[in-house]
Amino acid sequence: MSKANIWRTVLRYVLVIIVVGMFTFPTYWMVSMAFKPKGEWSSAAGTIYWVPENPTLDNFDTVLTEYQGKFFRANQSSALPSIRSSIIVSVGATLFALLLGTLAAYGLSRFSMDTGDLPWYIALGRMALLIIAMLPFMVLWARLGIIRYWYGILTFTLLGIGVDQAIGRLLARFYKGPTGSLAFSILQLRMFPPMAIMIPVMLMWSAFKLVDTWYGLVIIYGVVTFPFVVWLMKSFFDEVPRELDEAAIVDGSSNWGAFIKVVLPLVKGGLASTALFVFILNWSDFLVALLLTTRYWPTIPVFLNTLVSSEIGAQHGPKAALGLLAVIPPVVFGLMIQRYLVRGLTFGAIKK
Amino acid sequence: MAHIRLENVTKRFGRTTAVKALSLEINDGEFFCILGPPGAGKTTTLRLIVGLETPDEGNVLIDGEVVNHVHPRERDIAMIFQNLALYPDKTVFDNIAYPLRERKVPRSDIEKQVAAVAKTLHIEKLLDRKPGKLSGGERQRVAIARAIVRQPRAYLMDEPLANLDALLRLEMRIELKRLQEYVHETLVYVTSDQIEAMSMADRIAVMFQGKLLQCDTPGNVYDFPADRQVATIVGSPPMNFLPCQVSYRDNGLELTHAGFRLQADGERHPLRDSLQQQIQEGSDLLVGVRPEDVLVHERQVHAAAFPARVSVVEPLGAETIVDLRLGPHMLKAIVPPTQILNEQQEVWISFNMAKLHILDAHTGIRLYTTGEEGALVCTPGTAWSNSSLTPPS
Amino acid sequence: MAGIRLEGLRKEFGHVVAVKELTLNFPDGKFAALLGPSGCGKTTTMNMIAGLETPTAGAIYFDDRRMNDVPPGKRGVGFVFQNYAIFTHMTVAENIGFGLKIRHVDRATIEKEVKKVAELLQITDMLDLNAGRLSVNDMQKVALGRSMITRPRIFLLDEPFSNLDAAFRAYMRGELKRIQREIGQTMIYVTHDQVEAMSMADNIAVMDFGVLQQFGSPDEVYNRPVNTFVANFIGSPNMNFVKCSYRVEDGQGWLVQHNGNARVPVDDRRRRLLEQRSDNAELILGIRPEHLHLHSQQDSPDLLSVTVHFVEPLGPKTVVHLRLGRDIVRAIAPAAYRAATASVQWIGVDPAFMHIFDGNSGLVIR
Repeated sequence: MSKANIWRTVLRYVLVIIVVGMFTFPTYWMVSMAFKPKGEWSSAAGTIYWVPENPTLDNFDTVLTEYQGKFFRANQSSALPSIRSSIIVSVGATLFALLLGTLAAYGLSRFSMDTGDLPWYIALGRMALLIIAMLPFMVLWARLGIIRYWYGILTFTLLGIGVDQAIGRLLARFYKGPTGSLAFSILQLRMFPPMAIMIPVMLMWSAFKLVDTWYGLVIIYGVVTFPFVVWLMKSFFDEVPRELDEAAIVDGSSNWGAFIKVVLPLVKGGLASTALFVFILNWSDFLVALLLTTRYWPTIPVFLNTLVSSEIGAQHGPKAALGLLAVIPPVVFGLMIQRYLVRGLTFGAIKK
Repeated sequence: MAHIRLENVTKRFGRTTAVKALSLEINDGEFFCILGPPGAGKTTTLRLIVGLETPDEGNVLIDGEVVNHVHPRERDIAMIFQNLALYPDKTVFDNIAYPLRERKVPRSDIEKQVAAVAKTLHIEKLLDRKPGKLSGGERQRVAIARAIVRQPRAYLMDEPLANLDALLRLEMRIELKRLQEYVHETLVYVTSDQIEAMSMADRIAVMFQGKLLQCDTPGNVYDFPADRQVATIVGSPPMNFLPCQVSYRDNGLELTHAGFRLQADGERHPLRDSLQQQIQEGSDLLVGVRPEDVLVHERQVHAAAFPARVSVVEPLGAETIVDLRLGPHMLKAIVPPTQILNEQQEVWISFNMAKLHILDAHTGIRLYTTGEEGALVCTPGTAWSNSSLTPPS
Repeated sequence: MAGIRLEGLRKEFGHVVAVKELTLNFPDGKFAALLGPSGCGKTTTMNMIAGLETPTAGAIYFDDRRMNDVPPGKRGVGFVFQNYAIFTHMTVAENIGFGLKIRHVDRATIEKEVKKVAELLQITDMLDLNAGRLSVNDMQKVALGRSMITRPRIFLLDEPFSNLDAAFRAYMRGELKRIQREIGQTMIYVTHDQVEAMSMADNIAVMDFGVLQQFGSPDEVYNRPVNTFVANFIGSPNMNFVKCSYRVEDGQGWLVQHNGNARVPVDDRRRRLLEQRSDNAELILGIRPEHLHLHSQQDSPDLLSVTVHFVEPLGPKTVVHLRLGRDIVRAIAPAAYRAATASVQWIGVDPAFMHIFDGNSGLVIR
């Protein structure tokens, strides 16, 4: 090898090490922090311990048991309730979104007519029209004083859906290209980041008495991840040739039977990767859970946030320990479905 | 066995009409072919019969019963799709067993029936494999097995041989035909390959752009096509059409083309009878002649021959196709492989006078076919002087 | 125009050898076909000629200039594919002229050239139409025109008509041949349809599993095939193959059927060749259906007895499938031929058209 080549290779390796280091260091730091005794992780100490010198399981102990000590701690209880909350909410929301989303995706894949390739100005126009069209109703509902109540919200929502569909049909009269079918309406749900709608969500949730409940969180997570499920699963369903459904029907299955026995098995991989994706999304959410839980149902991220004491500020050690524990369920889930995952990630591994 | 009938069926998809006022009658135990170019509406017709589509107008009847709104699973008809639609994640055994399982056939019976069908189609050794590991021909057989095992009252096949290699197609054609004769059930077979239709069908329905053009035996569709479109679809290379004009004489009539003239002598000539009502003096007609009925000679062997020029020669081995220029028109002729012709060569051509067709130039409808009687006399045209052999190009 | 020479061309995809040591000479200005079943390596070969694939070994020469390292854009190659890539929002004229437009040729010249090409393809009346509204057939003509206008030295066509209806394919075969004659450019046409190859090509390269089987004119590959693969692949209906062995009886050389009692005499020349062979290995007799003559009676003692297995009326002719012992052979009969299944008929084998192949290698014995 020439000298220039040697330099190039060395440079390449150095760059790789730097980049890999950047990504793996935080994880390493968290793992090492989880096993450091208080002396090593608290900022009172002057030195930085790159490697724990006296590894201990104290942090896990602190986090998982009730605190009986004499110093005031903002959060008296252990992390176990939050772990329970996270598991119930994440699994529940994932199942909810998967169930509804997969069925919707199948319907859209097989029966949707509009192409879905909307020009950007049509998409914007449609959403703007919807907002403008609903404004008078907002005023009306407020005037009637019903907007704060669950029946007011319910009727307003249904009206909104109806108006959205009507706008779509109206657009189709004047514009010959695609105007967005039901699929687009579903996508619209995701065009606003959840943060943007959290204030109205909080109001609605309190109106429906859903705050600080597990089902309240399941619903919002489900709604927010539903478009992802639909769009991911639709692309997997699109890979399955329609003739397979039809062959099953001709062979004697009902429409539902064809779906369950023929099509669904073929998108197992897609289902698995979508499930994992959605689960991770739910598991790691902080903001929504923060706003919609108070005493009984905080999830792990929310609980982590409260690990602070007046004497030392943020408790890095216990936080790291809980963080490490929090990583385990998604990883376990991923490993469990791994053999389906590879096929799901390589879209269209299904060749006929 | 099933008797299938379509009465005036129309099916639209958005703005296009796939099938227009189609009326078909398929007899019990018949090998019935639907033939046409892509887009003719053949697959839609099949789907209407099996129930994957519902007619917008008209009725679909099976064994006398209107089944427009009957779910496919109740119709007891098996269909083999163009891309076979084998369940990729299931073994061959499970694929074939699927229809039986859906009908809740007891397990022991399923095993017996699948084994029997696999034996008939020579695929017993493949039962544990998945479709991905089979060759094209083997997958074909599995698809056929899956259809046969249910013993339905009719079979539908959508261009099943289209994706196979030319060699395999030849083999499968024979096998399919013999299978149908053995099983003796109604088979509706869609294809765009006219050789398949000609060689296998008891009757052919020629479709084009959603309409039925002709429904008859292969022999009749070939020898007496209903119109220009049918004559183009059936037969390869397709029939040649040469425009000419009709003029009525006292003692007969004459069809004039620049290169040749056809005369029908006699006041009561059958051609005159069939034309006189509809066709006026000077109207445009088409003379239709199949390439195998165009004879090419190197000299003017008889009075009926007239000059033309060779454009390209396509040697096919067993026969040779010659592209000829006749003035501004092109026509193809089939000559034996032993006849050597060169490009740009001047030749003399004549027609097989027993196999000429006269068609209306505007509607394309075939008006008349010469046969043993009703013969016409052909002479070279007067548009070119006799001194020059070649027509002006 | 350019003559193309392939020397020891080889292409591997991992373990799979798609093309094995291909040496071929495509003459200048002629129409050549690459013919074979799917997976035989014909498309891979074409891609290497085009520059879309790099050979694992071997070289490609255009007029003695080595092209292995020349990128596809600079090889002067024109393509026509199955899935025509037409600009649907432009007119036909704009589509055809596109190649010249991006080379910044002036408008007057573009117009002239487009007209010339349109005349050649007989689409002058469509020049101003929107290309998206054409029928599939016409679109393919436009695709052809678009690749022709830049006058590439070599045309590569990959089964361009396989998606189109049969009548149009029959028409385009004659047209493409005529066009090639007029523009005189070297054309290489990839297909699995032997009818296309036979009707259009001056030379056909028959391939199977990456190996060249035979390269010759239509007459050569049809009448003098070098092995059973070529003999079987070319010609429709296929050649009949009957397993037999060579025996001397009554002072004559005969080919005696394995699966039956039939025998045919062998001419002296080949008799000598057969007797020189060391083993009495299995032989294969090949004879095309049109060279089997059907008789309803035993008009001469040479005729062989057969029973009718199946009659296939095909319009202008009829193919009759016959049982000869336990073998099945096919013969051609006139359109009106009718015979009952299982009836006894007689066939005569035309000795001038008999081919003898070695049973193991498949090679012809000449």
